[in-house]
Amino acid sequence: MTANGWFQIGVYLLAIFLVTKPLGVFMARVFGREKTFLDPGLRPIERLIYRLCGVDENEEMRWTEYGAAMLLFSGASLVLLYVIERVQQWLPLNPQHFGGVPQDLAWNTAVSFTTNTNWQAYVPEITMSYLTQMAGLAYHNFASAAVGIALAIALIRGIARRESGTIGNFWVDLTRCFLWVLLPVCLVGSLVLISQGVVQNLKPYATAKLLEPQTVQVQGPDGKTFTQTITQQVIPLGPAASQEAIKMFGTNGGGFFNANSSHPFENPTPLSNFFEMFLIFAIPSALTYTLGRMTGSPRHGWAVWGAMAVLFFVGVTTVYWAEAKGNSQFSGVNQATTALQSGGNMEGKEVRFGIANSALFATATTDASCGAVNGMHDSFTPLGGMIPLVNIMLGEIIFGGVGSGLYGMLVFVILAVFIAGLMVGRTPEYLGKKVEAFDVKMAMLSVLVSSVTILVLAAIAVVSKFGTSGISNPGPHGLSQILYAYTSAAGNNGSAFGGLNANTLWYNTSTAIAMLLGRFFVVIPILAIAGNLARKKTAPASLGTFPVTGPLFTILLVSTIVIVGALTFFPALSLGPILEHLVMLSGKSF
Amino acid sequence: MDHALQSRTKALTDPKIFRAAAIDSFRKLHPRTMIKNPVMFVVEVGAVLTSIQLVRDGLHHAGAFGFGLQITLWLWFTVVFANFAEAMAEGRGKAQAETLRKARAETMAHRLRPDGSVEVVPSSKLRSGDEVLVTAGELIPGDGEVIEGIASVDESAITGESAPVIRESGGDRSAVTGGTRVLSDEIRVRITSNPGETFLDRMIRLVEGASRQKTPNEIALNILLAGLTIIFLLAVVTLQPFAIYSSAPQSIFVLVSLLVCLIPTTIGGLLSAIGIAGMDRLIQRNVIAMSGRAVEASGDVDVLLLDKTGTITLGDRQATSFHCCPNVTETDLASAAQLASFADETPEGRSIVVLAKEKYGLRGRELAPHNPAFIPFSAQTRMSGVDLDGHEIRKGGAGSHREIRG
Repeated sequence: MTANGWFQIGVYLLAIFLVTKPLGVFMARVFGREKTFLDPGLRPIERLIYRLCGVDENEEMRWTEYGAAMLLFSGASLVLLYVIERVQQWLPLNPQHFGGVPQDLAWNTAVSFTTNTNWQAYVPEITMSYLTQMAGLAYHNFASAAVGIALAIALIRGIARRESGTIGNFWVDLTRCFLWVLLPVCLVGSLVLISQGVVQNLKPYATAKLLEPQTVQVQGPDGKTFTQTITQQVIPLGPAASQEAIKMFGTNGGGFFNANSSHPFENPTPLSNFFEMFLIFAIPSALTYTLGRMTGSPRHGWAVWGAMAVLFFVGVTTVYWAEAKGNSQFSGVNQATTALQSGGNMEGKEVRFGIANSALFATATTDASCGAVNGMHDSFTPLGGMIPLVNIMLGEIIFGGVGSGLYGMLVFVILAVFIAGLMVGRTPEYLGKKVEAFDVKMAMLSVLVSSVTILVLAAIAVVSKFGTSGISNPGPHGLSQILYAYTSAAGNNGSAFGGLNANTLWYNTSTAIAMLLGRFFVVIPILAIAGNLARKKTAPASLGTFPVTGPLFTILLVSTIVIVGALTFFPALSLGPILEHLVMLSGKSF
Repeated sequence: MDHALQSRTKALTDPKIFRAAAIDSFRKLHPRTMIKNPVMFVVEVGAVLTSIQLVRDGLHHAGAFGFGLQITLWLWFTVVFANFAEAMAEGRGKAQAETLRKARAETMAHRLRPDGSVEVVPSSKLRSGDEVLVTAGELIPGDGEVIEGIASVDESAITGESAPVIRESGGDRSAVTGGTRVLSDEIRVRITSNPGETFLDRMIRLVEGASRQKTPNEIALNILLAGLTIIFLLAVVTLQPFAIYSSAPQSIFVLVSLLVCLIPTTIGGLLSAIGIAGMDRLIQRNVIAMSGRAVEASGDVDVLLLDKTGTITLGDRQATSFHCCPNVTETDLASAAQLASFADETPEGRSIVVLAKEKYGLRGRELAPHNPAFIPFSAQTRMSGVDLDGHEIRKGGAGSHREIRG
């Protein structure tokens, strides 16, 4: 661990802190339909869209209507992507002449991008045409992010409104999110990334002649191995920068290339790396301020932000410590940090990023439901790899995915407020709204769904042949691989631990189920909470009300998250990463 | 109600309650009772599972029998202890109710036979439709309606109003409540409730916990606990496949004890005991909560507004000083007031006599030579006094004086 590393982590946290208020205020204005500086250019477009789609922008929806509109939109988007994937061979912009995507893979990918998971069981540069990437995948990066933000805004409205039957209009929220928030930032973001060297073109893949021909052993179709000399290399190209910006800003994480953000065409420089990490946390962090502003209690927004920042800092410190310490089994190998080497465990990491930036990226991408990677989590030390896993297991609420992070966190806020209320002996109140049986029931339901999905599917996989055949390392590391796959899918993260061959019928089907459950079955109870809270009266805060601002509340919130999350997954983790760590200390690795 | 509430804290170790609770804690092991508390039900199921496994291990001489036995015993102890805590709290509530019930049985009523003669029966024997005679100083034996006469009644025990109220036949002031005291005059009351339905009975039932319903917060908390139990149950159930993968399958004893450690056993086991104990504590402080909901609501109170000061006082107004008009000495006033109050049997009247005696040493004088004619206090005149050798001394409210003087 170096001063330089700590400094970069500090600068990152500071940058996130600084963007929170301005972006938060901007989003509150956008979704509150107040005036913004972008209105002159965007209002005419917005009105045109409503006229074309027949949407009345002043119509309000009940939570059931809002949910139905959201499901309708997501379902239609899902089918659209599936169809594009299946027929891409007949569509334009396919310079490499890729065939249609196989059924189960196309289904898995369609679900994955619709749910903002971006789990990729395929290798993009040899599977997807440019059209599929742009019209299918990049479109979903925008759409799924906008849906997530709209849902969070609906929940905030539910908390803020009094005795109201409605929580806003889904179509209006969706459209305004596209036009005011996502498109302008991504336009600028893409240009910033291009300036750093991220590719953006529609050319066929380039071919380069190798300076030094390579000789490899290849297995032929008849099963015999023969020697082949390779003299040229194919370099994939494509419209990467335009997809890269929304991949980070919408916490999607689906890479344009298989190597994701460790690929030099996606993430060429330390500066582009910093910018991409900044984009991951920008909206999730700013939404806490939007929450504070729309509910009239900015200090509550900051208290929630504080809980997120504490958990993030603990996570990044642990990963940084575990990775910088290196592997204890390399006795006699110099793992010290010097001017000439990064030191620590550099396996699976890019030298242009080093230990600190890889630790930071891994923590941020799993805190948020992003899932982009700039190093392979599979190659992290057992504890270093456990933190990303735990981050997702906690529900991706440490800043979290765009929208989904905030509404996931608010579920824990409701639980924390409820427990605190009972401790002080009063009916629990959250910003003046009484928290009652229905709210607790729905909150528990949404917490229950993802835990159940992860544990049950992983348990089936580890004791079945079709499950264990996919893992590349035996022992506790294999358990971590399977656990990570389902955690990533149910948490809608989409990052892969690596090492697991997930493109099989079983994994494509089961992870798709996990992704659908993890998104929609979590969201519907939350919308029900929003609708129920909106109906309630608010009581003014009094001396006896448990304050939801300040450090005491932050501590309580963090404890609630850690206790519920840690107790649920500790038994499973103890047989995976924790066991692997102990075994590593005794001199064995996997 | 005062006398009923004088039941004092029962010692925690009261052997009678203890013994009853110990028996009850085993009776409550019945699954039909246990399922009402999902968390403890899960523990009981776990205990049954380990017991079965223990028997099988014992028959096959397999596994670590001592370990299994220990875990099984701990589990059963956990379940029984939770039941015991609940039974203990219920037992203490029942003891309180017993005291209340005894107090009710001690009230004797003067029931009118159809032929007009009076018989003395315990109030618990009264039926709806019976007619009773209640004279000054007696407790009204049951809820009913005044059908003849007018009386001032001290209802402070129930309404908190310190000044006696007038109850008379006909009109909307005819309803009387069992347990209140008649201060003057005599009334005939027709009882309107059967035993077991009176106001007092409802309170007793409440204290016993028989009609105790779950409060809104308790329901919400139960949902939270049940949710956590499901999550942790799954965490443990899925641990076994993970353990099999790691080729270290765990025995049922280990899994069940891990589950019991994870689920919120403590709060789940003691929740209903806490609820009952809370009501019980209130009773000890002479507060009767009509429902758990009321207790919860009182926790949400920020400001308490009282519409009168008397609400929290006892129902006997006491004289504390004499205030004289000009040209009247205090001794003269005290003497006259005392004379006028001899025939006033209400607490107020008696207190005037006592005050005059304590403050000015005025004692009961030999009045016979003066041919006294006492005029007793009645609810109609709201006046008492005495006629002495042509002097008329009267005491009463300003309104009643105005009526007499015209």
